Parts: sequence; structure tokens; C-alpha cells
Amino acid sequence: MKKEKWPEDSEDKELKRKQKEPEDSADTGKAQPEEKSEAEKYLDNWRRTQADFVNYKKRTEQEKEETVKFGNSMLLLALLPILDDLQRALDSVPEDLKDLPWVEGIRLIERKFSSSLETQGVKLIKTEGEAFDPNVHEAALHVDGDDGMIVEELQKGYKLYDRVIRPAVVAVGNGNK
Amino acid sequence: MAKAIGIDLGTTFSEVAVMQGGEPVVIPSSEGGNTVPSFVAISKSGERLVGQIAKRQAIINPENTIYSIKRFMGRKWGEPAGRELPIEEDAKRKTYKVVKGPNNEVKVAMGGQEYTPPEISAMILQKLKADAEAYLGEKVTDAVITVPAYFNDAQRQATKDAGKIAGLNVLRIINEPTAASLAYGLDKKKDETIAVYDLGGGTFDVSILEIGDGTFQVKSTNGDTHLGGDDFDQRIMDWLIEEFKKDQGIDLSGDKTALQRLKEAAEKVKIELSSVQKAEVNLPFITADSSGPKHLNITLTRAKLEQLVMDLVEKTMEPCKQALADADRKASQIDEVVLVGGQTRMPLVQEKVKQFFGKEPNKGVNPDEVVAIGAAIQAGVLKGEVKDVLLLDVTPLTLGIETLGGVATPLINRNTTIPTSKTQVFSTAADNQPSVEIHVLQGERPMAADNRTLGRFILDGILPAPRGVPQVEVSFDIDANGILSVKAKDKGTGKEQKITITASSGLSKEDIEKMQHEAEAHAAEDTKRKEEVETKNNADNMAYSAEKMLNDNKDKIPEETRKEIEDKIGVLRTALQGSDVEDIKAKSQELSELMQKAGASVYGQQGGQAEPDAQSEQTEEEPKKDDEGTVEGEFREV
Repeated sequence: MKKEKWPEDSEDKELKRKQKEPEDSADTGKAQPEEKSEAEKYLDNWRRTQADFVNYKKRTEQEKEETVKFGNSMLLLALLPILDDLQRALDSVPEDLKDLPWVEGIRLIERKFSSSLETQGVKLIKTEGEAFDPNVHEAALHVDGDDGMIVEELQKGYKLYDRVIRPAVVAVGNGNK
Repeated sequence: MAKAIGIDLGTTFSEVAVMQGGEPVVIPSSEGGNTVPSFVAISKSGERLVGQIAKRQAIINPENTIYSIKRFMGRKWGEPAGRELPIEEDAKRKTYKVVKGPNNEVKVAMGGQEYTPPEISAMILQKLKADAEAYLGEKVTDAVITVPAYFNDAQRQATKDAGKIAGLNVLRIINEPTAASLAYGLDKKKDETIAVYDLGGGTFDVSILEIGDGTFQVKSTNGDTHLGGDDFDQRIMDWLIEEFKKDQGIDLSGDKTALQRLKEAAEKVKIELSSVQKAEVNLPFITADSSGPKHLNITLTRAKLEQLVMDLVEKTMEPCKQALADADRKASQIDEVVLVGGQTRMPLVQEKVKQFFGKEPNKGVNPDEVVAIGAAIQAGVLKGEVKDVLLLDVTPLTLGIETLGGVATPLINRNTTIPTSKTQVFSTAADNQPSVEIHVLQGERPMAADNRTLGRFILDGILPAPRGVPQVEVSFDIDANGILSVKAKDKGTGKEQKITITASSGLSKEDIEKMQHEAEAHAAEDTKRKEEVETKNNADNMAYSAEKMLNDNKDKIPEETRKEIEDKIGVLRTALQGSDVEDIKAKSQELSELMQKAGASVYGQQGGQAEPDAQSEQTEEEPKKDDEGTVEGEFREV
């Protein structure tokens, strides 16, 4: 194997930490303007640090609000696949069992699960009959159908308040019939 | 002052980070995650899409969705390939058109127009810039961008150009393995050799670096541009399909929906098996045939997973061997190993790397973020963060005072940044106590005697008062030089005393560590002793309040109850002489119950004027038991 030549890492050679400034030996009696500029520098640094602190507080407040509002997203993402499975089960109930009261009970459970999520701010993303929108949909298949229209929903998508936590996975039409 | 950002511009994902308060922080994208897919597209309606949004429509718009543009940066048609595949090969694998410019430069077609790779990368950089500005609330211009160590001059220049087009002032282009090393603070090492093992989603890179005098030098690099975590996922998927075929006789590989679920499940179980020995892949209703719905439910053990991917991991060893040879080093000469890329979280990968280099790898920093973090650190240094001039210290050991029972009560916890101050109000332990002694302590042990005495002083002139009533405000103040002042002030009389201690940290690093270790070693017995003291204190308080209650309610408490309580107090006081904690607790409990009974009876008497005793808790009044016979739950036969 040939040895490759390395480009001049001239830029890397300058990788240094900023050195502490050497202290000037103070000359008593002289120094008025020097001390003044030192003092100004300190005041400026203090102001900047204060400003940084204030900004940091503001950002932390904002992040706290976001955490409270969206902190549940991880939990919800973990629970949604279970709702998917429950819905799959109901979608494939055998004909002869469809009207069993027991099956009706499972349907009620699914409805309860869905409405609990709604109460938590979770909203279903519309797919059927909609135009494909990459902001809320993820295209997994390109199939025969109206160009750019959603032909089939492969997995439900959800928003938490105004944020998409899981895009809807869909099959999109390619213009052929 | 405007911040400089650090950008990891990756083949499949990009990330941006910034220094905040001296710490690197990854900036979340506007979509919420930390990474931005390196995708750019022009939609049918002519709209430009970047990142996650672009990726989501890739399948329905393959010709106008550009991905993995990094593979074409700084390259020309007909040029020797270096690490990458020849342009012709790479172009064939893409869903978009790769064309030739007048000077053999590489261009891509998107939305009916042609773009150079830097122009495409600039669109990704622009999005990262916008996300950073939204997060920081201010404009961002300066940036450090990372590139693979094997990038040549033309490739680096192309990356710089991309930054310029995006409106960024590129302070520096640094190597990805260098950035990773920075994230671990390895720039402080002298004359050491570092191996960086980077196993990401689609590519594997290994680099040998040398650090000396604050500068990094790349000695060699090697790798495999088409080997990564995605291949591991594929192995699991293939196995699941196989097992399902064996078990249920159905081939899922043609079912697009099933494949989607399998892909997600494969990645999920791979991640789970990094922390547990076995995990379940549970996919109900994965498909259906004439006989009804079918479910996939298979358990995958870590051992089986390792079997499935062993050859992939072994495949990474050959480039490592070659890199060492090219750097003219032996594995034993490697001083530090750094792991980069999500796939390095797998225990098998970590094991093999450790075996090969004979060293425990550095892995504390999130391997997906370590390059962006290193870039942010470099950006911070280049920007010359003003706060560098002001280095803040911390106080290495807890500072406090001694309180009742020889307990050490902390006022300033260890590792608190200084300068700082803390105030707390204490009180007296005995009735008519005329003075308090402030015994200033340093150390982590809960009992005062086991800590270091920094100083003592007395505040006297406290007016006669029942115990617990006077308010003595104790303040600790440490200035920037580490000088501690302790002040005690009687809020009633206004009298105060104070003491200044200069040697609050006259301890060497070894002494400090020794004290911390001792605290940990003795933690169990210390807790026990502290509990003992607290139990005794509580019992003592209880006896005192019981006596007070008896005194204040002389006439309202029946003689026998009074006698009972006095006896109990005596018994408790005797127990307090000893140190049987359980016994003291039990006797305190008994006394407490007696007091409650007595209190209840005082209230039971009409219009009792019982003074609320702060110590005894009021229980709910016993419901009056009438004999009027409310019979519950019995059915009467009519």
C-alpha cells in the first residue's frame, strides 16, 4: 500500500491555547493612563459576564418552558408504537368475531388510549386525501396514483402541540394511474 | 460578543455546537433533534428543502434530492481517487445526476440547474447557521468546520468555499480526529500518540495522531468508506427475515411496510443489546396470509448479535493495522485511544478496540457529538473568549460549623465556585444559654470531630431566653483569593463577632483527596453515628417539651396521666445516658403517644385553653362512640 502524502497541516500547527498575558511590572508614580485602561477593561469584562449571565438565565428559562412542554416527547415516542399495534389488531379482527362484546371492549380501550393522548396535546397528522407535505409526512413508497397526493398511510404520524414528534409514513402518487 | 460555532459537516449527518459558559453545547436544530441529515432538495414546486425535510421526500423526488455530497467535495472527473471511489463509480450509485463542468469539475443537477458541491454544502451550512442564530438569539459569522484527516488541499478549500458561500467566516478547517481529541482535552498532553477510531453510520476511519507542544500532527489514516452502523442494522434485519421464514414460512423481504418496521426494530434492538444481555423483537401483526394475521416475536441475545456482526468488526482491524504500519508505530506505543461514532457504543466494538490497542478507550463524551464539540472548543479558543483571563476557583472541601450533638452542619458545599457567600440562622441549645461558640469546620465527615478545625470564636451577650428562641445569623464569605470570613450576629441584640481565616485551603491536593476518600470509606458508620445523634437530639427535645407541657397545663391534666408522663420522661432521660438508638427511639415514641393522649384530653374538656405545643402533633379526634347503634352493612329482611 502506497504511503499517502499528508497536506501541510500548517493550520493545525497553530493550535494553541491562549496564553496568559505576562504581567507588567507596575511602575509606581507613572501608570495613571495604564491603570485607567486596566480598570476599564475589568469593568468591560464584568459587564460582559453580567450580560452573559443574564442571557444564560433567559435561555435557561426558555429551555425550562420547552422541557415542561415537550419533556413528554420521549415517553410518547415510546408509547406510540403500542397504539399502532393495538390499532393493527383491531383492523384485522376476523369477520366472525367483529361483533363480540369483548372485541368492542378492546375498541373502547383503543379509543381511551387515543383520547388520553389528545388530552396531553398529541394530534394526529392528516394523511388520507391530502397533498404530500414533507413537513409532516415521510414518503416511503412512490406508487401509481395522483401526482403528489397521498395514496396510502403506512404509519400514523403525530404532533405534540405544534411540533412533529413522528411524521406520518405514506405512499405518494407518481402521476400514473 | 458574537460567538463562533463549531460544525461537524458529515456525509450523512451534520451537527453544530458552541461554547457556553466555558462548556461546549450541541445546538438543537429547528426540528428538535441534535443532528441534521446532510440532504438538500428542490421540491416539485421549486421550493428548496434542507435537512430532515429534504430526507423525507427523497423517495418521491430522487433526481432532485442531493445527499452524500461530501464524497464529491474538491474532486475532479478523471482524477485519482485517493480514499474515495472514482467519480464514475460513485456517480452511478446516486439517484441524482452527476455532471462534468468545463474544467472537469464535478457538478450535480438539482431542480433543472447545476450546482458545485460547495454550493450544495453551503445550503446545509446555512441551515446550521440559522439554527445556531435562533438558539443563541444573535447573529453568527465565525465558524470552525471539520473535515476527514485524509482530505487533500482541494477538498479542504472546497469546504472553506462552502463556508464562505453560506456567509460564514471560516476561522479554521480542522481534522475530525483532531476535533475528537480536543473534546477529550488531549491537547494538553505532551509528545503522545493518539489513535482515533471512528465508526459512524456509513463510514469507518482510523487515524494516528501525534500531540506535542499544543499542536496535532496526522501520522497516518486508513479506513473503509463503505462500512458503518447501517451494515450492522442490515445484518439484524436479514436474520429476522430468515428466522421468520423458518418459523412461519413467509418471506418479509418483499413487504415494504414490514421492512420499514423491521428496520426500526433492528436499530432499536441493537441499541438495547448494548446495555442488556438479551432483548425481544416484538412486532405484532407484521403481516397476514389466508390463515390470518402473523406476529414476529423473537428474542435476540447479545451473544447471537455479536456472532452476526463479528466479521464486520474484524473488518475494521485491518485498517487499524495498516494505519499503525504507515505511522511507523506499534500498538503498544499508542498512549490514548478515542472513540467516535454511534456504533462505537457497542460493547463488542469497545472490547475489540481495547484488545487491539491494549488501552481503555476514551469514551465519556457522546460519540455522535464529539467532533462537533471539539470544533466548538477550537472555535472558542480561536475567538479568544474574553473570560479566559478570569479563571475561577472552587472551594475543594465543604465548610460548615459544629451544631448540637457534635454534628457538622455544612454552609458552603465543596466544589462551589468562589467568590461566594452563604448565610444561615441558628439558635441556642439550652435555656438561658448566654453565648454560642462558632466552631468553623472544613471537611466531608458528618461529625465535627472528624473534620479539620479552621477556627473558633464566641459570640456572647445573648439575652436569657428559652432554647431555640434566639436568632444567631451565621455568614460565611469566601473572596476570590480563597480567604474565608465567618461572622455571627445576634439578631436580637445586634451584637456580632467575626473571624478571618486565610488558610482555608492550606491543604495539598493529596490531603484533599485523602479527606474525600476517608469520607467515602466511613460513610456508612458516619451515617449511623449522625442518626444516633439526631435521635438523641429529638428525644431530648421531646423530654423538654413534655416537661414544658406539664408545667403549662398543671391544672388541666389528670394526676395519673401526669404521673405517667413524668415517669416516661425519667425513663427516656435514663435511656439518653446510654447509646441504644433503637431503645431511645422506642421510648421517644411512647412518650410522644402519651403526650398526645394528654393533649387530646385537655382539648376534650370544655373550652380547654391548652397552649399549642409545637412538638406534639395533633392526631385526628377519635369519633365519639355512641350506643345508638348505626349498624353497618347488614341487610335487614323486610
